[in-house]
Amino acid sequence: MSVRGTHIPEHLRLPIAGVTPPPTEKEGQRLFPTGNFRFFRPVYRDKTPPCNHACPTGEQIQKYLDFVKHDRYLDGYLTILEDNPMPSVTGRVCYHPCETACNRAAHDEPIGIRSVERFLGDFGLNLEENPIKKDLPPLNGKTVAIVGSGPGGLACAYHLRRKGYASVIFEALDSAGGMLRAGIPAWHLPEEVLDKEIAKLTGLGGIEIRCGVRVGSDPGGITLDHLRTGYDAVFLALGQDVGRRLDVEGGRSRGVLGALEFLRETGLGRPVKVGRNVLVIGGGNTASDAARSAVRLGGGEATIVSLESEDELLIVPEDLEQAREEGVRFRPQHSLVRVIADGEGNVTGAVLCQARLAKDENGNVRPQISEGTEFEVPCDTILIAIGQVQVLDWLPESFTERGLVKADEYGRVPDDSEAVFAGGDVMRGPSMVVDALGDGKRAARDIDRVLSAQPLEPDGPVEVMPYERLNTAYFRHAPRTPVPLTPAGTRSKSQKVEVTLAYSREEAVAEADRCMSCGVCNGCDNCYIVCPDISVMRDARENGRYSIRTHYCKGCLVCVQECPTGCLEKVPELDFDEPDAVVRMETAFAPYDGAHAEQAPFTRQLIEDAIAEYDRSKTVQPNGRGVTP
Amino acid sequence: MTSVHVDHGLTSGAPPRLAPAVRTPDGEKFLNGMAGTRIRQNGCAAAAYAALYANVDVITAYPIRPYTAIMMNLAQFIADGILDAEYIHADGEHSQFSAAFGAGSCGARAYTGSSGVGVTYGYEMYSIISGARIPIQMAIADRTLDPPGDFGSEHTDALCTRDMGWLLGWAATPQEVFDKSLIAYAIGEDPRVLLPQMVVQDGYFVSHIAGEVEMPAIGQVESFLPPYQLPFPLDPRRPVSHGPQIHPEQGPPLQLERARAMEDALGVIREKTDEFAQVFGRKYPHFVESYKLDDAEIAIVISGGHSVTCRAAVDRLRAAGVRIGMARLLWIRPFPTSDLQEALRGVKAVGVVETNLGLGGASYGGILSLDVTTALYQMDGERPLATSFMAGLGGETVPMSEFEWMAGKLGQAVARGRVEKAAHWVGFED
Repeated sequence: MSVRGTHIPEHLRLPIAGVTPPPTEKEGQRLFPTGNFRFFRPVYRDKTPPCNHACPTGEQIQKYLDFVKHDRYLDGYLTILEDNPMPSVTGRVCYHPCETACNRAAHDEPIGIRSVERFLGDFGLNLEENPIKKDLPPLNGKTVAIVGSGPGGLACAYHLRRKGYASVIFEALDSAGGMLRAGIPAWHLPEEVLDKEIAKLTGLGGIEIRCGVRVGSDPGGITLDHLRTGYDAVFLALGQDVGRRLDVEGGRSRGVLGALEFLRETGLGRPVKVGRNVLVIGGGNTASDAARSAVRLGGGEATIVSLESEDELLIVPEDLEQAREEGVRFRPQHSLVRVIADGEGNVTGAVLCQARLAKDENGNVRPQISEGTEFEVPCDTILIAIGQVQVLDWLPESFTERGLVKADEYGRVPDDSEAVFAGGDVMRGPSMVVDALGDGKRAARDIDRVLSAQPLEPDGPVEVMPYERLNTAYFRHAPRTPVPLTPAGTRSKSQKVEVTLAYSREEAVAEADRCMSCGVCNGCDNCYIVCPDISVMRDARENGRYSIRTHYCKGCLVCVQECPTGCLEKVPELDFDEPDAVVRMETAFAPYDGAHAEQAPFTRQLIEDAIAEYDRSKTVQPNGRGVTP
Repeated sequence: MTSVHVDHGLTSGAPPRLAPAVRTPDGEKFLNGMAGTRIRQNGCAAAAYAALYANVDVITAYPIRPYTAIMMNLAQFIADGILDAEYIHADGEHSQFSAAFGAGSCGARAYTGSSGVGVTYGYEMYSIISGARIPIQMAIADRTLDPPGDFGSEHTDALCTRDMGWLLGWAATPQEVFDKSLIAYAIGEDPRVLLPQMVVQDGYFVSHIAGEVEMPAIGQVESFLPPYQLPFPLDPRRPVSHGPQIHPEQGPPLQLERARAMEDALGVIREKTDEFAQVFGRKYPHFVESYKLDDAEIAIVISGGHSVTCRAAVDRLRAAGVRIGMARLLWIRPFPTSDLQEALRGVKAVGVVETNLGLGGASYGGILSLDVTTALYQMDGERPLATSFMAGLGGETVPMSEFEWMAGKLGQAVARGRVEKAAHWVGFED
């Protein structure tokens, strides 16, 4: 008989039919270390979602959307607070670069991130206690002077406080908030919301706001030198609150106002006279805000006169649409030639002409007027919204350039102390609230580095996840949840009624559920389910809690193919021969803490085991087999 | 006998015991009522009754004649409440056998079957099931492979799976179908074997012609065939991995184990056949039915239903003075090399009846003679001459006259001291 006399060597004695403990068991498949079949290894490596990347504060948007999706609002709120101290403000007024960048736009419609942020912000605003307060470090004795209590100054003070620094904010106006109060109308951002957000910050302790102090220009008042000598560092975030003047005939008539000044007086609750027939000169968001406020206060009509054509207007689309609904009229590609006034100097009309927007080689606006097209329109108020500046003559000349504060890539002003930083509009010119918030955050980080004698370092390169690398087959199409609005007829009669309303809880959850978590593991379990070899391990459905059984995974990469978010990627096995390569298993998991990166001790141990095993397999077994202890 | 070690690598403890299969009250009543009776039924019904007595847990079906009637009977049992089993109607034979495999892997006694091209359609699963050592049973009622469409019986369908690691044998009567189904389960499920079984019957000649079948008592069956216990079932309470990917050098030891299992089965077949005789009172030869071989000069080697005609032909030829005998193979896998050698010792010429097609093989005839001649070649002492006869193809009968023609050819070979050729096409030669 054929098998008589056969024997199987000890090292090849296998259980019947190769039946072994499954790969899910600790010793599973040790007998069959087929991991060395691999040419490519699946590796979890989170990328940066485009929303995070576009947000100047770097909000971890996919993370808080995930929290909202799971009804974990406090966690979501705390996630925002890591980067942005005032989500109730940005949730109302941010021009949402995140939504503009959102990959979902290529799928159907971008996520309503701002509205979810507002939902979380208002959730946090209604908490009795500020949840971060109990975890703040004690004050370290150092104090930073901040000029301006706008978003940049407040954000800087906030982030400094989280690092243990005290700050004193000098505010020229009688109340804090900067342009949030003096530039943004209350129907965008109600005063009480702003008050609460500021109170939340000052309630942390260590943040003092001194109102009515205009640094530099008050005789006998605070000067830059006071700040430099009296404080450990300085952050200049004084914004641009002076409207650019338009030098035309009749421009000094009664009834001609700067739009910024108009918005400021309105915002501060002072009486402002505005007529029933208002012209607003300018083509940006300030013009839109001013026109809409004028409609509300004067009860009449407002027309936006702009060099820009309809398509060129620099007004964010939803504001433009809302302005139209409220009856604001547009006269694009026109210029103000002169103002007509009566004998007492009151505005009665304006002469306009056709014009086009053009710029010189420095980017300055140079209107191209069509001669002979002048005509007259009646009006009683003219609001000028053609840009803004700041008075900077109290700063050393070396600090300024072309009307702005000069700063290096870290926002640091060329000063011998190396501890004067700047941010926001005064550094970058007219820009978004969220830009200022981001500048404040970065300034706090860098001030801390300077004051603790660490070198300043630029942000590392990030890999932004493009839509094309998602497995979009996994995301069913779902329309964006519309943001509720107050009807135009109601809202245009009041300066106080909010235009944009909040998502309900259900709406916020539904909208958060649309997030595709671009490039960041969201614990969907696909890899775990599709692996034909049971080589994907998990102990919980969360990012960082999956691992690859490298001694058994054959590198078929089905998991990579079927990863909806693209956080799984294939890495050539040879890369793992480089000890310093980017993608060793121990660094391959989520790069930050929290829901998307917590690693259970179990998972960590698995990775360590896998690496140890991998290392052993490289040193023993010359025939290429792995180790089977 | 080599030992199959089943516990190596498994972490700890015994495998979970599955609840013993419970019969329905109606089923028990029905079977108790039949105990000891003899009923006339065809081979398909006999197979179905055997599965009923074996109390199978899972049945997977896909229709193709002539075996369909087995599944028809089983479906009726379930509909009547006589049998409590999962009955899965698959979308084709591959799925059908896969489902039976899955069921068997989980520790269920699984039963399936097919005919003709249905057998070949599911071919992939044969090696997988036997290599995984899952002892399911498959009933085959032979049918000629296409083309063209031919319902008639030919052994080619089952014979071409002969090297896939299944126990394989033909039954010649409905009673033998019934008995062999129970014996095959008992052998295959024995922990020393753990191999799937094909219980084959000739289409129509056996599957559709009635014979008397004795119905046993439940107790007899249960004492002979205990509940199925796979030592390594798929069970979430104690996870194991079946069919892992391995390194090339890990394949040969597993293959050697499979080869050993086949040889180990030889002893278990003897044991179970004897045990069956004790319990049921019907004694079958272990492997080879020797009919009038003692003083035979020439012999026909055959398997399956045509042996009934062959036996009558032997009697008639004997009456005419021809010293002829018959060796009927009850098992083709494992092949009973030594039993066949012993049965044919002293015979001068052997002719294998090939009810099958082995195109382009060594004999340019059929499949079965290749194993037979290899066994004869290994004989000590004087070896008989060997040839084969292509007969009964396409489902034709093999009439008495053809057996007589074969006897003539064998007599010629003895007289000449050599065979004319390795395979004769009966009916096409002078």
